[in-house]
Amino acid sequence: MASRPDPDTPDLDPGLSRGWLASTTLHVIGLALAAVSVGMLACTLLEALTSRRDTAALAVSALLTGTAGGLLSYITRPGVIRKRHIFATVAWTWILITVVGALPFILSGTFAFGGAGFVEQVVNSVFESASGFSASGSTVLADFESPGRGLMMYRQLTHWYGGMGVVVLAVAVLPFLGVGGLELISAEAPGPSSDRLTPRVSETARRLWVVYIGFTLCAALAFFAADGFSSLYDAVAHAFTVAATGGFSVHADSIGHYDSVAVETVAVVFMILGGTSFSMHWRAVADRTLPYHRNSEFRSYLTMLGLTATVIVILLWLENGFPLGTSIRAGVFTVASLGTSTGLSNATGPGSPGDYVMWVAGAQLVLLFLMVVGGCTGSTSGGIKVMRMRVLGLMMLRTVRHTQTPHAVIPIRLGRDVIGEGVVSRVAGFFLLHFLLVISGLVAVTALEGDLVSALGAVVSALGNMGPALNESGPTSNFAVAFSQPARLVLALLMVIGRLEIFPILLAAMGLADRVRSSRRHGPPFLHQVSRRLGSIAGSRSDDV
Amino acid sequence: MRIVSWALASLIDAGLAVGVATLLCGLAGIGDDNADAFAFGVVGAACTALTAVARRRVAPPARPTAGRVFAGIGLLWTVLVLFGAAVYAGTGSLGRLDDALVESAAGFSTSAVTLLDAAEASRTVVLFRSATGWVGGLIAILIAVVTMPVVLRSTALIGYTTGRRGQDLVPNASTGIRRVLILYSGFTAACVAAYLLSGLGPTDALVVGLGTASTGGFTGRVDSLAGYGGGTHAVAAVGMLVAGAGIFVIWWIVRGRVSPLWRSQELRVFVLLLAVATAAIAIHRDIGWGEAGFMAVSMMSTTGFAVADWTGWGESAAVVLLVAAGIGTMLGSPGGGMKVMRARLLMGSAGGELRRQLDPYALILVRRDGETLTRRTLDRLGGHQVAFVVLVGSGAMLLGISGVSLLGSVWGAVSAVSTVGPAMGEIGAYGRLEGLGRPGRLALVPLMMGGRMSIPPLLAGVGLVLRWYRVAVRQSRFQSRLADRRHARSESGNDDG
Repeated sequence: MASRPDPDTPDLDPGLSRGWLASTTLHVIGLALAAVSVGMLACTLLEALTSRRDTAALAVSALLTGTAGGLLSYITRPGVIRKRHIFATVAWTWILITVVGALPFILSGTFAFGGAGFVEQVVNSVFESASGFSASGSTVLADFESPGRGLMMYRQLTHWYGGMGVVVLAVAVLPFLGVGGLELISAEAPGPSSDRLTPRVSETARRLWVVYIGFTLCAALAFFAADGFSSLYDAVAHAFTVAATGGFSVHADSIGHYDSVAVETVAVVFMILGGTSFSMHWRAVADRTLPYHRNSEFRSYLTMLGLTATVIVILLWLENGFPLGTSIRAGVFTVASLGTSTGLSNATGPGSPGDYVMWVAGAQLVLLFLMVVGGCTGSTSGGIKVMRMRVLGLMMLRTVRHTQTPHAVIPIRLGRDVIGEGVVSRVAGFFLLHFLLVISGLVAVTALEGDLVSALGAVVSALGNMGPALNESGPTSNFAVAFSQPARLVLALLMVIGRLEIFPILLAAMGLADRVRSSRRHGPPFLHQVSRRLGSIAGSRSDDV
Repeated sequence: MRIVSWALASLIDAGLAVGVATLLCGLAGIGDDNADAFAFGVVGAACTALTAVARRRVAPPARPTAGRVFAGIGLLWTVLVLFGAAVYAGTGSLGRLDDALVESAAGFSTSAVTLLDAAEASRTVVLFRSATGWVGGLIAILIAVVTMPVVLRSTALIGYTTGRRGQDLVPNASTGIRRVLILYSGFTAACVAAYLLSGLGPTDALVVGLGTASTGGFTGRVDSLAGYGGGTHAVAAVGMLVAGAGIFVIWWIVRGRVSPLWRSQELRVFVLLLAVATAAIAIHRDIGWGEAGFMAVSMMSTTGFAVADWTGWGESAAVVLLVAAGIGTMLGSPGGGMKVMRARLLMGSAGGELRRQLDPYALILVRRDGETLTRRTLDRLGGHQVAFVVLVGSGAMLLGISGVSLLGSVWGAVSAVSTVGPAMGEIGAYGRLEGLGRPGRLALVPLMMGGRMSIPPLLAGVGLVLRWYRVAVRQSRFQSRLADRRHARSESGNDDG
């Protein structure tokens, strides 16, 4: 009986794979596409059983995606994996998933309203797909009534896939193929370091997925009960969103559609839990204890949410003149939504208390701060993350102390642990790159026609995987109104960069530049491999003859 | 007996400069509004006499500690602003004390925002407003090129100092101060002369010349430089470029040294950024290259002069100008902002971190003019940058809470912290503060002062407060423990009894 290979061993047993082209990147992309096609297929069934409007579009998309994924994973096998390849794998997987994930929207003509041409439809579809898979929740969809239930559920499902990461899904499969997944986890998992629950990556991934699925089921049941058991479809759709801290809704006015305190309370609780590390949830379930209060990041996270909610409620009450109860309801919900990078809204319409673009500038700036920070490491939320913000704050305090005692050696501590200087530098580098991307994005979006405040909000929102932004791109508007087509593509790219925590995309771009440079000298590496393989096949045939 | 205090000594020196400037403004105002001239003359004379006497009784310590120097710098700026406010309010130039405080802070921080009505203000007041900017610029240069590198003598603070080139201009404190004074005054005189040649009257030439050399941007007119001719605009553009490039560039030019000019990475980046900003504005928005270049150099040198209402140029031009203002000038300039050198080093550091992701053991070297910076220095620069962002962010929130619009809050905070002044929104292209409510105006004061002090003194102030707090907490704990013990002893004594 053959023993299973060690999942963390990079070298492979060629007997386990039928692929002849050695490329880890293509292989992972293939597996990820196959996984997405399963979701498309499920939504096709839902569409066929309900509205039947977009059944063909979904079925064709599932077929094309599944075939492409299956073929890619069949003809390729994972090669020897290096750090550079890991980043390329993660980055290209997300980019391709985003592009392929737009197929159902393109084929169904979801964005064919308002006389939009084919190019605009493609741009909008790619934007919606990027927003979905990056768990952002920004939308260009204006007509929420025309698409069928299956297609709308597919839109929600893109969040769910994106939440924990399509790549983590692939990691759960990769151990069978013998590819070391630890590096992939650390490249994909949010935060300064991956929070491993077990020494084996496959086991960690499995447990995270169990928690994720369990979390989604609990959220669905809670929404179902809070809405008076009226629509399981709505409950599941919003459960996908809160689990992934996404932001899409099946209604144009998001959670504001229900105008229900119970539904909003459920959403607030699950959004805050979604912005918390999933490994902590696992520990809570597995150990039957509550580890949350012992985690310093979680305490900081709750303190941040509490303080900002208090400030906003006071501002809404005093400056905007809302009644105290309305201020609490609007303030707490919006802080929970934006502080966890979810992006759901409880605005019942333009100008209602939940429509935060009508709030005083101070309150909106507090929200902008929340968009930058995001949730905890190890959660599905975006943004810089509370842990990194703490490191940056401590770094600033260390600079404060150095002005008094320039030669003092002052370590940075999180809780009782001293953080290594390498990690501190990496966090500082991450913050710098984030800052630089915000500025570059702002320049690009305003150059492509967008007003400054909307552009600032949208860029910060896209990088933080938030969803709605400020001004014209607020919770009761959509991005098609606020931004031109090229600007939307820039924002879509920023969403993917933000989802992957900046480094993988930039490193993949650097790797691509290196490849282009080397292919000028030696020819394209894949073609080289293919021609060598064909040569060997031809050689073996001539031997047979 | 002489009092040894760095803060007091520097305060007296600055007071002397302000006193002389006030006296000169009073003298220059004779014949225009004699009441103002008399009042300013008396205040200036009294301040000069007082500081001249006090100077003999106070001496700076031979080796002041970093904390005390930074705290002293913070105190110095605060006292100067309060003095200026007292002069404006005391002489009746600005009726309300809060308005006087805002005007004084704008003057000393070299920000081009004002509440003064140029049509009504006397020549003395207008000159005094300009002179506060000039003194503010002088103190900023002295802190950057003399205090930090020479007085602190600490390589550990290299991120805040001027590097090897500083030793050339400032071999020691006294020589450095003398040279900086000569260069700064000479540059100002050259600016005034050029403005006179371009057709400006003597008072206007003096006001605009002081505003150019100090990057203060005050002109005494409601439309900044828009009403002047092309010659004046050209003089202003060249003047702002040189002022933004800093005292080292002026030193190299005066000494006829071409090679340091070519070799300076910072100068190359400064010029490159200016060229890119100009091109970005001119090409994208179909704005004249002259106007685009003028506004780019005005923002990047953090002067704030305007030749047109640039707030109507479109969002992309506004963003380019915003970024230029945020980056700011070169080290050794009276202007503000994050500074070109720091921005470049931080970029290098971020690029290094990116490369380190691929190879964790890679040796990434970040250099400044041939010097390799240590990881410690880069970390401090990182902390500095975080503090800059925190200052801008909290400033924007403060403005937002004060009733300023979202656009005005964001732009106003960046502009105030970078000591530019004009901003999109309520403040506008010409830096008029009438459109801003009183809370908003007052919110600008700490931002302008925070930007002028630069980050280290601000952080040192925070550090001192934290230290005092820690000491106070320790003392109160100690006292409570002592009281508990006494209580316990007395109780045990009673039991024994």
